Amino acid sequence: MKNIISFIGILSGILCITGCSKLKENPIGILSPEGFFKTQKDVEAAIFDGYGLLSSDAIYGRFFNGTGLELRSDMVAIGNLGTAPERIQVNDFNVNASSGLTGRWWPIFYQVISAENTADQGADLIEASDEIKNQLKAEARFVRAFSYYHLVQIFGDLPYIDKPVSDPAAAKSMGKTPAAEVWGKIIEDFKFAKEHLPDQQPGDVRSRPTKATASAFLASAYLTTHDYQNASTEAKWVIDNKVAYNYELEADYQDLFNADKMDGLKEPLFVIDYASDISGEYQVLPSGIALCNNCDVMGPMTAVGAPALTIGFDVLVPSQAVYDSWNGLDYRKVVSFDTMVLFTGNVSKYYTEWPVPRPHIAKYIRYPGSAASPNGTNSSLNYMLMRYAEVLLIAAEALTEVNGGPTTEALDYVNQVRARARNRAGTITSFPTDVAPGMSKDDFIDLILEERKWELAFEGKRWYDIKRRQLGDKVFKGPDSIEPHSNFDSNRDYLFPIPGSEIDINANLLPQNNGY
Amino acid sequence: MQLTAHADYCPGRHSEHLIPRSRGPIIKKLLLIMNFTAFCILLACLQVSAGGHAQTVTISLKEAPVEKVFQEIKKQTGYFFLYNNEVLTRVGKVDIQVKNSTVEQALDICFKNKEVSFKIFDNTVVVKLNTPKVQTNTTDPITVKGKVSNENGELLAGVSVKIKGTTRGTTTDENGVFSISIPDDALKILVFSFVGMQPREVNVSKKSEVNLILASADNEQREVVVIGYGTQRKSDLTGAVSSVKGDQLTEYPAINTIQALQGKSSGVLIQSNNGEPGSEFKVRVRGQTSINAGSDPLYVVDGFVGAPLPAPEDIASIDILKDASATAIYGSRGANGVIIITTKTGRSGKTRITLNASNSSQKVINKLNLLNADQFVDYIKEANPNYVRGTGNTDWQDVILRQGNIQNYQLGIAGGSEKVNYYVSGTYFDQQGIVIHSKYKRLSVQSNVSFQATDKLKMGINLLLRRIDRDGVRSQEFSGGDGSGVLSAAVRFAPDLPIYNPDGSFSLNSIGDPGDNPYAIATQVQNNSSNDEMVASAFGEYQLIKGLKLRVNAGANTSNGRTGNYIPTTLNQGRNVDGIASLYGFHSTNFLNEDYLTYTTQLAPDHNLNLVAGYSYQKIRAENFGGQGQDFITDAFSFWNLGSANTYLAPSSGMAETELISGYGRVNYSFMNRYMLTFTGRYDGYSAFSRNNKYAFFPSGAFAWNAKEEKFLDDVKWLNQFKIRTSYGLTGNQAIDPYQTLARLSTEIAVIGGQQVTAVRPTSVANDNLTWETTAQFNAGIDLGIFNSRINLSADYYKKTTSDLLFSVPLPQYTGYSTQLQNIGKVENKGYEFTLTTKNMTGLFKWTTDFNISFNKNKIIELPGGQDIFYGAVPGHMVGTGSMQVLRVGQPVGMFYGYIYDGVYQEGDAFVPGSGFEEMPGGEKYRDINGRDADSKLTNKPDGQLDEDDKTIIGNPHPKFIWALNNEFKWKGVDLTIFFQASQGNDLYSFTLAELGRNSGGNNATTKESDHWTPSYTNTDVAAVNPGRAFIPSSQWVFDGSYIRLKNIMLGYTLPEQINERIKIRSLRFYISAQNILTFTKYKGYDPEVNYLSGGGPGGNLNLGLDYGSYPNAKSVTFGINVGF
Repeated sequence: MKNIISFIGILSGILCITGCSKLKENPIGILSPEGFFKTQKDVEAAIFDGYGLLSSDAIYGRFFNGTGLELRSDMVAIGNLGTAPERIQVNDFNVNASSGLTGRWWPIFYQVISAENTADQGADLIEASDEIKNQLKAEARFVRAFSYYHLVQIFGDLPYIDKPVSDPAAAKSMGKTPAAEVWGKIIEDFKFAKEHLPDQQPGDVRSRPTKATASAFLASAYLTTHDYQNASTEAKWVIDNKVAYNYELEADYQDLFNADKMDGLKEPLFVIDYASDISGEYQVLPSGIALCNNCDVMGPMTAVGAPALTIGFDVLVPSQAVYDSWNGLDYRKVVSFDTMVLFTGNVSKYYTEWPVPRPHIAKYIRYPGSAASPNGTNSSLNYMLMRYAEVLLIAAEALTEVNGGPTTEALDYVNQVRARARNRAGTITSFPTDVAPGMSKDDFIDLILEERKWELAFEGKRWYDIKRRQLGDKVFKGPDSIEPHSNFDSNRDYLFPIPGSEIDINANLLPQNNGY
Repeated sequence: MQLTAHADYCPGRHSEHLIPRSRGPIIKKLLLIMNFTAFCILLACLQVSAGGHAQTVTISLKEAPVEKVFQEIKKQTGYFFLYNNEVLTRVGKVDIQVKNSTVEQALDICFKNKEVSFKIFDNTVVVKLNTPKVQTNTTDPITVKGKVSNENGELLAGVSVKIKGTTRGTTTDENGVFSISIPDDALKILVFSFVGMQPREVNVSKKSEVNLILASADNEQREVVVIGYGTQRKSDLTGAVSSVKGDQLTEYPAINTIQALQGKSSGVLIQSNNGEPGSEFKVRVRGQTSINAGSDPLYVVDGFVGAPLPAPEDIASIDILKDASATAIYGSRGANGVIIITTKTGRSGKTRITLNASNSSQKVINKLNLLNADQFVDYIKEANPNYVRGTGNTDWQDVILRQGNIQNYQLGIAGGSEKVNYYVSGTYFDQQGIVIHSKYKRLSVQSNVSFQATDKLKMGINLLLRRIDRDGVRSQEFSGGDGSGVLSAAVRFAPDLPIYNPDGSFSLNSIGDPGDNPYAIATQVQNNSSNDEMVASAFGEYQLIKGLKLRVNAGANTSNGRTGNYIPTTLNQGRNVDGIASLYGFHSTNFLNEDYLTYTTQLAPDHNLNLVAGYSYQKIRAENFGGQGQDFITDAFSFWNLGSANTYLAPSSGMAETELISGYGRVNYSFMNRYMLTFTGRYDGYSAFSRNNKYAFFPSGAFAWNAKEEKFLDDVKWLNQFKIRTSYGLTGNQAIDPYQTLARLSTEIAVIGGQQVTAVRPTSVANDNLTWETTAQFNAGIDLGIFNSRINLSADYYKKTTSDLLFSVPLPQYTGYSTQLQNIGKVENKGYEFTLTTKNMTGLFKWTTDFNISFNKNKIIELPGGQDIFYGAVPGHMVGTGSMQVLRVGQPVGMFYGYIYDGVYQEGDAFVPGSGFEEMPGGEKYRDINGRDADSKLTNKPDGQLDEDDKTIIGNPHPKFIWALNNEFKWKGVDLTIFFQASQGNDLYSFTLAELGRNSGGNNATTKESDHWTPSYTNTDVAAVNPGRAFIPSSQWVFDGSYIRLKNIMLGYTLPEQINERIKIRSLRFYISAQNILTFTKYKGYDPEVNYLSGGGPGGNLNLGLDYGSYPNAKSVTFGINVGF
């Protein structure tokens, strides 16, 4: 009898305890967007996500700037032919719609945009003054515009999104916005950013934008869309306010690429800030591609691959003609190239004895910081996305276009850049000499483009110059080509194909870019 | 002996009306079911306890049949009586006059001098006849003695030995020995009977000693099958259930129970995902019902849902529930089939000790034919004329492969008394894999104890303790460079390099990225995991009234483990960061409570009813945590001193919890053993589902007709079984991870001013309506037994349609998201299964054959918007391959998708242009089959250009059918088993061969490379060397993956009993066996029985028939011994 009673007791006890559960999920350790945005810090966290993604190996860690922009240009070619074929395809103008590289750039830039859209909306939800809200929105919109600035140059017409996506089904059928309209929106965002961003970020860090950063990118956007009047206005605005906002050319060109001197530099307007001792977790995209925030692999991608002390991958190696055509007196060439490295057994070897016997890029491997890996992975470098020297060159080019020829002002801007280049680690040399007045407009524009090529070598700028000035047939097929590609097709190759997987999901993205 | 009892019962037969028939206001209904359970108990209790207050009786009867007295006592006390009808005769009529006396006193009066006695257990009175005293016969009796054993030579205790035509008899003792005196006037025939054995009669008129073997009652239909929440005679089954006996699982040393199950049952596909010791197997019962959600069957071990599987040696039987009639009792978890595992228990009698030991030696099944150093250098110089030959000549496959070894031991002790049974067993499995430095060890203890606490209460405790230790080597990795795995490195790596450089460091690859050599990866990377499982489950089974039992199961499973990883500075990958270490731990608990009532009754003669109603609550909580660091002062720390890292990498932690609350019921009704009906329903509430859809109901119904029981088949002597079964029902699949329906922000890192800051990003969108996948399954089957069950055939047809597929619908990546989980789409699986068992010879030489064959056809019926879904599962460094798999309406899941390869271009051919494609003689030629019109619509006509539109379906990874054939031969002590297993009609896509056959100079190549196109050698379909060649998914890398494999061949010898006696053991058997020694296949890779990225998780359903860098399966030779004491 007692048994029965105790059984019923136990049973009803269990029924009562367990039957009362509401089956409600109570996730701990998982962040829900509902009610997340309460303070300025929360919105900043969403803004910062964009910086985190831009620092992934998919974008500035190597795959966008390195195996994308640089390989596509005439400044960098493939060293090791055994490297992944998708890289060879970018270099050889033979990309197809399933490229693993466009398959990285596209989703990650759009993830940046998603984070910034969320931040932009989140700023409205917090308790703060309009000034703070606008400043947060300005930073979010700057990073968003920065992403579209690249996407539109790479892919042309594209789906433009400036709100968080809450109904993915609806977003699935959207069409493309023409490139010109996208540029309009980019400029709108940069303008808003210029209006509301602070003069200086806390600690004067250069990995977050200021008014001047926005203005410089505004100048670049105008330059790219051939609106030279506005380009010159914006670039000059930066130049005119450089003292107030603490921007200046560094005395020694090498310092721009030396991790130990990175912090406190005045020249950068916008950088990706790598830190050796910080590394994100690998996230795997549905396509199986693994990505990692703050994972910088440009060092080994450009470094000498051999049984050397620093084992590089020999992937991003300029053609011999890049080296040969560059005046040997130019200090910037010395900073940009390695021609002699230490091999195992403390033997120095000249580049002709290397596995890929061409001079290698030095900007990412020479001074990666003491905490970087021996092959340069995880450097402490800041990658220059915009620096004062470029602003000077933008101003010079735009002014020349506006005025139909070189003005004194334009000449001065170019000569400021050249003057700094004459400082060979403290010793003032005579090369490059100042540009003398009296050049024709076309010659001077060509000179500025050449100056950009050397000054901004291997910094992800050259391909955009080739594209915006439609130089492809000249630099890849012309007699003076430093990296000939006879199959370059100007009807196709100024744009990359939209990832085929996106068209598979949304047929409204058709037609595919021409030729793919 | 016919025992009858008289009592009233809880009205459990109404249960079917209480199960809700439609989805509705759901919580109410669930509560209703739960309340029903309690209500039922309460009723039963009231019934009994109401009378229980009066413990004394007042009776006044004269010349009354004793039955009347019983009724009176029952009326006054609620006691009920169990007795043999002969009691009534023997006691006859009684006079009784008692007032307020105890039941005992009253009965004493009744039974005075009546050769009848009684015993009271709680509220039940058992009346029995006193055993007649042994008569001393005047004539000389003859005495017969002997021994009884079973077919395996094990002596049987407790066998009943009776003299035919009398009630006189004895039983065998603990040593199986009996001795009986037969009176002169009795028949000289002894009848031997024992539970589960065929009874035998032996004429002993001329013998004084009989040693006989009782054959097991192998008429299949007498077998008992374990079904959800109960057992059933196989003859009463209405559902499709396959049973596998424990001894079928231990024929060769299997890494785990799942591997042992391969080929043993129709409708069950078991594939190894990777040959690495300890890697998991993929199990599909009747095809895969899902696309994104798990399609693994539900495992139930001794009633514990989701418990880890015990060692094969500790398993008594496995029953695989396949159709909805059988699985619907598991409701939202039944759609993928249910595998019920019953562990061994002890039996009363002498303690039995068994010792099983075996040792296997293993070798790789196959090696790839690769270029040697000279051939390689010739090849690579075509791609890269500057290549400088290395100083070695190494066959990397030989370097990393070795002879493997498995040791497997089990020691079991089982026994018991009348009230207590126990089974205690320890197993030890130790494998040295065929790739250097791979190790796997499993140690487990299983202890099952049950006891009869009182006459009505049975209790038991089952315990499993298990430790698994693993030293893994990298295989099936995603990346080809630094992160390369041992197996893929062994085929890719330059063969002209030595293992060590002159300075003692490991050589790095001289082509492609400077990856570490395979020997270095295998020996230097430390990848060690350890996992402890503990399962404790207890049950109590209480007989409330006759026929009505309450069973309460409560169990907990805790799993603890950790994985440590260290990449030392001796490797390139480790050197760059001065060593990188990580240590991850996890801790999970699974708590389950089940309470259910079982009621069995006969409503009227020939009308039998069995009811089950129950309630269950399950809670699973999983926790994980880990840390990682890099830059260590020394490699000696391995992963045991993360604190000394100079760089701390982000630590991680997480927790997930789910709850499942269910009510369930089943009605089995049978009429004259001819017509059987089953209705089942389960009502499940699950926390991981969206807020609008927490509950669902899963019903099923089945009918079976036992035609052999019909009169008109009585005369058909050759037919001894003929049953037709049919069923229809709904089951569910809830296999999604918790919190998937919620919107989520994920945290990431960013760096500002050299400092790490936390960043957040939305990574998933909410879905408030996410619900179960529902599978509707129809089943029709037939069971035939012919010629005295010499031939048994079961055939089943089924059709499963799964709707509301839990589908990670791909979102365009421009949304910032990748996928959203939705209920969209439909998949169908239909097929036939046949199981044929024949006893070809039954005499001294026995030969039995088991054959099963399964045909399953998988088809996608519906997809979101009818749109194709493309995806790829490509190793990271081959990522440019793009999508190479497709989901398309009307096609099976996971078809290979790519270009049609048309050989190589010859001089003068017209090249089809296309960015990424070659346009040169000797280049790869692909077929132009499609294009787009001005509106961007596909034309299905060549357009003179190669692009994504020209991809098409190029292969099907699903087998058309799978089969297994087992032949067993026995002659005296010798037994021989030959077991074949096969898969037919499935394609494989080999990334390994795609990589080795690409001829681009990025890695070593197969010897087929030597056949490549040159201007002077044009008659070939192997393309010329071209360093810029893309990875193009094409028919070139699709292979026929069909195979027939001699899975096991075993020759055993059992020592005759006479010898056993002399060496004081119960039984002794030796065997030698060989596994995987013969494979018939056209596949050119290592092994057709591997699958890349096909294991757990969503990818497991999508990635079928892929091969890359897998740890190969081994062939082995095993020596073993089974001893019984």
